[in-house]
Amino acid sequence: MKLNPDERWDLIDSIARHVVTYGEYRHTLKDAIGELTVKPMTGLPIAIAVMYCFWSVFGSFAGTLCTDGFFVKLFDGYWLPWLQEVFPGKGGWIYSILIDAGGMTNGEFILSDNCFEAFGVLTSGLFVAIGVVLPAIVIFYLMLTLLEDIGYMPRLAVLIDTVLHKIGLHGYAIVPTILSLGCNVPAVTATRILETRKQRFIMMTLLAIFIPCGAQLGIMEEVIPDLIGYVLLYLVIGYFIFGFILNRIVPGKSPEILIDVPQYQKPMMTNVRRKLWMRVSSFFKVAVPFVLLGCVVVNVLYLVGFIQWLGDLLAPVFVGWFGVPKETAGPLIAAFLRKDLAVAQLSVIEMTQYQMLSAVVLVSIYFPCVATFAMMLKEGWKELIGSVAVLTVVVFLYGGIIHLIGKLLGVA
Amino acid sequence: MKILLMGHPNVGKSVFFNRLTGANVIESNYSGTTVDYTRGYMSLDGKEVEVVDVPGTFSLDPKDRAEEVAVAMLKEAKDAYVICVIDSSKLERGLYLALQIMEEGYSVIIALNMDDVAEDKNIKIDNQKLEQVLGVPVVSTIAIENIGISKVISRLKDAKPVDVEDITVMRAGMNHCGRCGRT
Amino acid sequence: MAEKNNFVMIGIAILGLVTVAFGLADILVSVVGDGTGLSIIEIPGDMFRGGWGGLIVLFAGLFYLSGCKNVAEVHNASKVVIGSVLIWIMAGTDIFAMITESIPGGEEGPWFNSLSGFFGTYAPPYAPAIFLLPFSLVVVYYILKQERAR
Ligand SMILES: Nc1nc2c(ncn2[C@@H]2O[C@H](COP(=O)(O)OP(=O)(O)OP(=O)(O)O)[C@@H](O)[C@H]2O)c(=O)[nH]1
Ligand SMILES: [Mg+2]
Repeated sequence: MKLNPDERWDLIDSIARHVVTYGEYRHTLKDAIGELTVKPMTGLPIAIAVMYCFWSVFGSFAGTLCTDGFFVKLFDGYWLPWLQEVFPGKGGWIYSILIDAGGMTNGEFILSDNCFEAFGVLTSGLFVAIGVVLPAIVIFYLMLTLLEDIGYMPRLAVLIDTVLHKIGLHGYAIVPTILSLGCNVPAVTATRILETRKQRFIMMTLLAIFIPCGAQLGIMEEVIPDLIGYVLLYLVIGYFIFGFILNRIVPGKSPEILIDVPQYQKPMMTNVRRKLWMRVSSFFKVAVPFVLLGCVVVNVLYLVGFIQWLGDLLAPVFVGWFGVPKETAGPLIAAFLRKDLAVAQLSVIEMTQYQMLSAVVLVSIYFPCVATFAMMLKEGWKELIGSVAVLTVVVFLYGGIIHLIGKLLGVA
Repeated sequence: MKILLMGHPNVGKSVFFNRLTGANVIESNYSGTTVDYTRGYMSLDGKEVEVVDVPGTFSLDPKDRAEEVAVAMLKEAKDAYVICVIDSSKLERGLYLALQIMEEGYSVIIALNMDDVAEDKNIKIDNQKLEQVLGVPVVSTIAIENIGISKVISRLKDAKPVDVEDITVMRAGMNHCGRCGRT
Repeated sequence: MAEKNNFVMIGIAILGLVTVAFGLADILVSVVGDGTGLSIIEIPGDMFRGGWGGLIVLFAGLFYLSGCKNVAEVHNASKVVIGSVLIWIMAGTDIFAMITESIPGGEEGPWFNSLSGFFGTYAPPYAPAIFLLPFSLVVVYYILKQERAR
């Protein structure tokens, strides 16, 4: 026999009356604090403080302690010189790809003196993957896991609900958005918690375009610490502007939902440790091969002259429309494989501050990395094609706008 | 034999799953952590038994992709045992899904999880009475502390399909007693 | 009892006012530009620690002020606790930053810092939040004791 919903609720009511007794419940300090974190007037300042904490700890641990404190010294002071010394065939193809592409100055082959410039698979590749991205990912996921287990995420969702409604989503979309700041790949799967296809499409597209991943955040913090704030500002503004537009043009519904707010909990260390390990290791299984592969591909393309050719071909677009040097063609190819690698490569190209800012924003909003791409394909090819179409328009439009803003401010 | 872990989002299904199978599915304190199913295996009386961690769903009428997966998993395994995980502090909501699954003819066992939270909130549930009324095994658990999980498994054999009509009759009986004042 | 409450209220109110003043100072200094120091207090002048951080210190002060009236009541007490938590976030991140700076030996130096260099990192001047830290702890201690007594 099957019941209809009303009958079911009636049945439940009478069962509950017989088996459940509700004791007296006092409003405790813990509850009162919990309420303050979801009311806008008090919740927003708290959210602002939580973000500050997140960013500050991220920078201190990944940047100051790990990368600048130890890894730069290790890679530039020991690893690079040692490899340059012992690896045979200086100046040859293999050497250039694996160790150091070096530079020709006055017809003389000069070795690079740091791992950003060397471009080799075993030098730049390993340095970016292990020296810069690993610490960033570890600390990012540690803090994310703590926030998750404490139960803060749904509160953030409640706080941001009204704003996200403006772009066709609802508060809960903050979950994929924040996951995406770690890595876009699991975030694409997490969009399944949104109700309609429209919402999923908007979310996936915005993720792929505007949310930089943890690896990229780590490398930006390292190579452009003064500009990263502006890069993020441009990305956040873009997220909302294009979200607003997408909400207008994509057909479909954006239903209201009731966000379930769980109790605050003390995180369990065993769970935190396990989750951190799982996430970091699965991230690295994807990241390291692609970083290394990215180095190989870009180096080979340089050696055969493809990148110079492409740079010249696209020069009018790059220089005229985006206002960045044509040498950015190389990093843009790398960006398709790994964004962190692309930013690292951008950092050694000579350009003005504003050009650097524009170039990094372009790298971020331009094609998602292959892994994300594959994940989106798994969620549906129609959505993927739609996203790519939106992305192409956004890159040109937003890239041009950023150039224009620079011109208006007199800095481009 | 196959066991499905079903229930609302954020009630502790993934914790159950990890404890039962030794797997490493992500557990977090918010709804919608699990959006795809995961299979795992545990041994029961020397036999390998398949256990599935199903995404949380509020009802069998799916509202999003994750819930679609959940409902599809249930429909796909007609003869599966279902461990219905319920947040003890929100019994009514949880029972709705449990009843729906029972109506579909599945052998259900109910795990009243987060017993510690219910105790904090001073909510008491009479397990035996609930078991009597529903006709399916009911076990209190605290999954994160590994309390009650083995009891759930040991009572799997008592799970059998129930006709909701019997429950309604039972309820009528209870109401009757209520009206005539004891006996 | 009432007298004790008044005493506590005045204490928290003063703490709130000082905190608000520090927050405003942080923000003003970062808007104007360079950070300034008054012997052992250092007001950070960058947009991150001074601007964003200053805003948080300001919020903390406002939480104290809005909760100080009657801390015996749970909702007010919770505001005071949150005010303190914000101070802890500011002071905690500052201290964490000092720790991460103190361990490595610097660009040219050895792998690890020398002992004197290590301790030198922790010398004053400190940011305002670190001075507020002890007071915020006392306040929360008082509130927790009060909650437990109930
Ligand atoms: N206090 C308490 N917390 C629990 C208990 N069981 C699980 N939790 C917590 O509840 C939260 C949710 O657990 P999950 O296993 O991720 O929930 P889920 O049912 O898989 O949720 P979805 O994947 O979203 O459907 C976690 O933070 C657990 O630590 C319990 O018995 N007591
Ligand atoms: Mg789960």
